[in-house]
Amino acid sequence: MSLRAPSLEADIAAAAMGLDDLGHSRVLYGCLEPLGADPRGTERESDAASLRNLPYFDEPWTEWSQFVAANAILDTAFTVMIEACVNGSVEVLQHRLRKMLMEERYHFLHGRSWLRSGIETGPLNRAWQEAIEWFGPPDGDTARLHREGKLSMGPAELRGRLEEQMETKAPQTEVDWKQWDAVRRRGRKGAIDAHTFGMLRGLEEKKYAPPTAAKQAAT
Amino acid sequence: MSGYKRVSGDAVEYEVFARKTRVEPLHQVGSVVAPDADLAMAYARATYDEERWCEMAIVRKEDVIHLWSPGDA
Repeated sequence: MSLRAPSLEADIAAAAMGLDDLGHSRVLYGCLEPLGADPRGTERESDAASLRNLPYFDEPWTEWSQFVAANAILDTAFTVMIEACVNGSVEVLQHRLRKMLMEERYHFLHGRSWLRSGIETGPLNRAWQEAIEWFGPPDGDTARLHREGKLSMGPAELRGRLEEQMETKAPQTEVDWKQWDAVRRRGRKGAIDAHTFGMLRGLEEKKYAPPTAAKQAAT
Repeated sequence: MSGYKRVSGDAVEYEVFARKTRVEPLHQVGSVVAPDADLAMAYARATYDEERWCEMAIVRKEDVIHLWSPGDA
């Protein structure tokens, strides 16, 4: 992220929330099996376009307002989905995700406070649009899991809960569900850039790793 | 980023208190500057969470009533 926060406190908080979310991902990957088979394949090691990231994360952010919109809207959208899991019928999700909600509370407080300071509408509207796309269509898998009781909320309820949390209505959005990618849960094509993809795979860090004993012996 | 100040609104200093066990008293672990209690809580948690605190609290610095301070007679 080639972006600086307006203060050291904000920088520290942003980094800490990022670490929280990485931890949440690890927990989630370990307990989502009851909701369906893992859709990830080996292509995720070589093809950035196979990653299930929202378009919002395709390019590195350049403005603090982009971070605030993601923190306030997208992170809270994630939180309401976790609420739907915790209050659904899947026992492992009920138990293992509860702590996540406690940690996400501080993300919400951070996002809401910065949102009150006023940010540009561009990133905000985009975050709302992508949150609604991520919840899915009225007849998609989220709706099915809601009907089955595994999630306590479907797309409409998730959107309503997000609006309730943010104390505002979502801006006018139009989603072409026929063009929507049901696997990547996004309405537009694209992928993260090669440099970020390399960082995610640990390739960037390898540049700074000390040479191995074998390499040393060869030289 | 020029449109953003260090904090939004008027900055307020909050003292951060915490303790690791129920049997020890709360003690001051640091301070944060934020425009409101929401952000101060988020900053305090992010900045001072290196220990396994069983309790953390923040207090507006201006709400602390001093009986005396260093240098007072």
